Amino acid sequence: MNSKPPLARRAFLARIGLLGAAVGAGGLLPRSALAAVPAAEGDPLSGVVGLLRPVLAELSRDTLNGLTVFVVPGKDRYSAAQGTPSDTPGALEAEGTDFLMNALDNFVPFPDQLAKPIGAALATGLADTGVELPGLDLLPVQLGTLDKALRALLENDATLPLSLPIASTLNLLATQVNPLAVNGPFLSPFARLSYAEKARVFQLLEGPDSDLVALLDVHFPEPLKHSVSGLLKFLGGALIEFATFGAYTEYAVFDERTKQLTGRPVGWQLTGYQPDGPVEGWDDFIGYYQGRTEVHD
Amino acid sequence: MRDVIIIGAGGGGPVVAKELAAKGLDVLLLEAGPRHADPREQWTSFENDANNPLSGYFRLGPEDRSRPAWFREWSQNSFVWQLSGVGGTTQHFYGNYPRAYPGVFNDYDKPDRAEYDVNHRFPFSYGEMVPYFEWVEATAPVMTAAMGAKEQTFFRGCETLGLPVQTTKTTLGPSYRPQENAVLQPGGNAGRTTDRNLLTYPQATGCTHCGYCFQGCMRPIGAPRNQFAKRSTDNSYVPMALTADAWASGGRPVELIADAYVTRIHAESRGGALTATGVTWRENESGAEHREQAKVVVMAGGCTENPRLWFNSGLPNPNDWVGRGYTDHFFDWVVGSMDDYTGNPKGVGSAARLDFPPYGGLENVGLPPALNAFATTLSDSGIRGQYTNGRGATGPWDGPAGRVIGPEFKELISGGLDRLLSVLVITDDDVEPDNRVTLSALPADENGPIPKVTFRQRNRTARTNRNREFMARKAAELLRGAGAKKVYRIDWAPLILHVQSSMRMGESERNSVLDTNAEARAVKRLFIADNSALANALGGPNPTLTTQALATRTAEKIFQRYFGGDPWVREESPVVSTDSRISTRLGELGL
Repeated sequence: MNSKPPLARRAFLARIGLLGAAVGAGGLLPRSALAAVPAAEGDPLSGVVGLLRPVLAELSRDTLNGLTVFVVPGKDRYSAAQGTPSDTPGALEAEGTDFLMNALDNFVPFPDQLAKPIGAALATGLADTGVELPGLDLLPVQLGTLDKALRALLENDATLPLSLPIASTLNLLATQVNPLAVNGPFLSPFARLSYAEKARVFQLLEGPDSDLVALLDVHFPEPLKHSVSGLLKFLGGALIEFATFGAYTEYAVFDERTKQLTGRPVGWQLTGYQPDGPVEGWDDFIGYYQGRTEVHD
Repeated sequence: MRDVIIIGAGGGGPVVAKELAAKGLDVLLLEAGPRHADPREQWTSFENDANNPLSGYFRLGPEDRSRPAWFREWSQNSFVWQLSGVGGTTQHFYGNYPRAYPGVFNDYDKPDRAEYDVNHRFPFSYGEMVPYFEWVEATAPVMTAAMGAKEQTFFRGCETLGLPVQTTKTTLGPSYRPQENAVLQPGGNAGRTTDRNLLTYPQATGCTHCGYCFQGCMRPIGAPRNQFAKRSTDNSYVPMALTADAWASGGRPVELIADAYVTRIHAESRGGALTATGVTWRENESGAEHREQAKVVVMAGGCTENPRLWFNSGLPNPNDWVGRGYTDHFFDWVVGSMDDYTGNPKGVGSAARLDFPPYGGLENVGLPPALNAFATTLSDSGIRGQYTNGRGATGPWDGPAGRVIGPEFKELISGGLDRLLSVLVITDDDVEPDNRVTLSALPADENGPIPKVTFRQRNRTARTNRNREFMARKAAELLRGAGAKKVYRIDWAPLILHVQSSMRMGESERNSVLDTNAEARAVKRLFIADNSALANALGGPNPTLTTQALATRTAEKIFQRYFGGDPWVREESPVVSTDSRISTRLGELGL
């Protein structure tokens, strides 16, 4: 194995948020975890892969926190960071991120069949040019280990959740919109963006000639090629719609066992829906328009 | 050997089942999804519990909700709202039963004749369809809708447009009216109280104005299944099919098997003609496969599943129209923010409409929070105030069309859902061959290769786009007239409901799958009896009545052609689905 990844790989890892989340300021891995792995052949990588999985899960969650508050801002620090603080609860209080992750990760047959090729494309295909990145001083050997561990995980993990490539995509676009987002508070570049910058990410994702879509497409054989680009077009819309739907449902306060609510849903608070809880009916019947109760030809 | 096997117990299949069961045929009705035999145990009326596309009780998937939903490929910004289960999409519909406009039938000769989808007309006359409309209207039964606050607000807007009120079943020109809907009208305490203790059957009958149409109707409390207010087929036609011996002389109850996915239609050459002989289905729970023979097979699995099953069965597709002409109503959504109370989330989902042949129509639609939020964020025009995605049309609404999200949406609903009035734009959409179902290149599931729905959402015909723009402007004018302070146009991305015509019947064998009897041109003894059989988008009216009228006609054709019987619609009187004999037998059967 070649132990020295090109500069492009470092940029890529930084841009999907992994470099910062793993070993940046406030990162979740000690650098020694990477340094301890020899660059030689063998199994030791599996230890790093094991360490990486929870890092990626946190990275995904952080990224999607940045997404759900974009859709429904609230009292949280993510909403404040994007410049839309609110006095009323939002997606995080409604557990919108959990809803979205649950939706993405169970969107069959994604985990095995589609997320893996998308993940592989992300891991192997996307070299970066022209984006200046603030310094991240990582030794080549550490970087190489991290890179290989990510590849191993994306290409071989049968339980790879779709939320990860989605989060990676959002972060990649986030650093295209604002290269400075590779560093800062939160784990993920996307969560560091302003509201307008997040909108710009969706503009890039959703555009009919999205560069990212085109780039990903070339890494798939026909007939999957257009299925993957089509999927990304679908997700450009669906991420927002799913997040909104989830945040306005009773998801966070529904007890599956009793089929009752354990509190008033955020969506109901925000909309004034059913002030006294679920009903069997309303006193809404006024009469019949112009008194007409039947018509005939 | 069965007489008839029907694939799918949604909006269309149960109609054929009930009609042929009444004639004493041996009918097997197979449904891929669950049968919700006890909604009070199985449903809640909460939005995520009901309508989550992955895990809700109204998803597309097997009965066991711990198992994955069935994945379908849609390779564009769109949303195909499919449902499995007995009742199909009628489980979440609003019970609207308007008739198709006369202009979509082949005998229409009024001056605006050329303004309809003239290349895809029904291959028979409106006059021939009327008795079937009447039969279904009596069976469901269809009634003139009651008025709640949101309907009153909608009518206030209509009154400013200079249009007449429609007082006939047939739509003769631009006009507005209460819906003709299959919702039992409020009786007793229904619609008059919020006190749960007063809303039990029979002190309350019909619609209690609960506002939960989209989450399924199980009201009033304690009513027999066939007296639930909303006449989804699980409340109307299916109970009739299961009790045919109780209300029809010589009737024979249908056998219904749910959670059973049909994976193949079998056919063989007989006398030189390919002929359907039966089906194979698979129990979702155990995976066990069953094969059964039948004299006639009827497909009614829906516009997406019928083409899939056809392809997976290896049936011929000589003119390449199987799955083509996948047609919706190119919906759009225009929302008004009012100072006054509108009662938006209460009452029947949609109980007022405006028709504008040949363009389409408008409906008021009341929405619960999550569906309302979904409706205002599904768009092909980007995020309002941020980017337009190359669209963002301007007009008599405020600002560019597009998604209302984030702080702007929170502000919009901060006055309460019941300060909004939402209008659904229903477009008369041309049948287009490039909008279609094919088999997906993505991995197959346990039932075979999965369907892929391709929608060229930005490349519809000039007439379709003209119709949509015209109706969106009318919606904005209506909302202004009703007193809206601010009007938003969403420019919905394809939200694929009211989907039709993917296995269409037609005048020409070059662009249709079915002949004028709804029998497949390429496979004898194989009929189609759901929305996919419709010849076109009907001009815009909601498809359920026309589908069911056509399915009734198809049942007659089957009975005449293959069982030597006589047609009955012009000779007999229909039994209403609320008939007490049905209720009694349901009770005896524990249903």
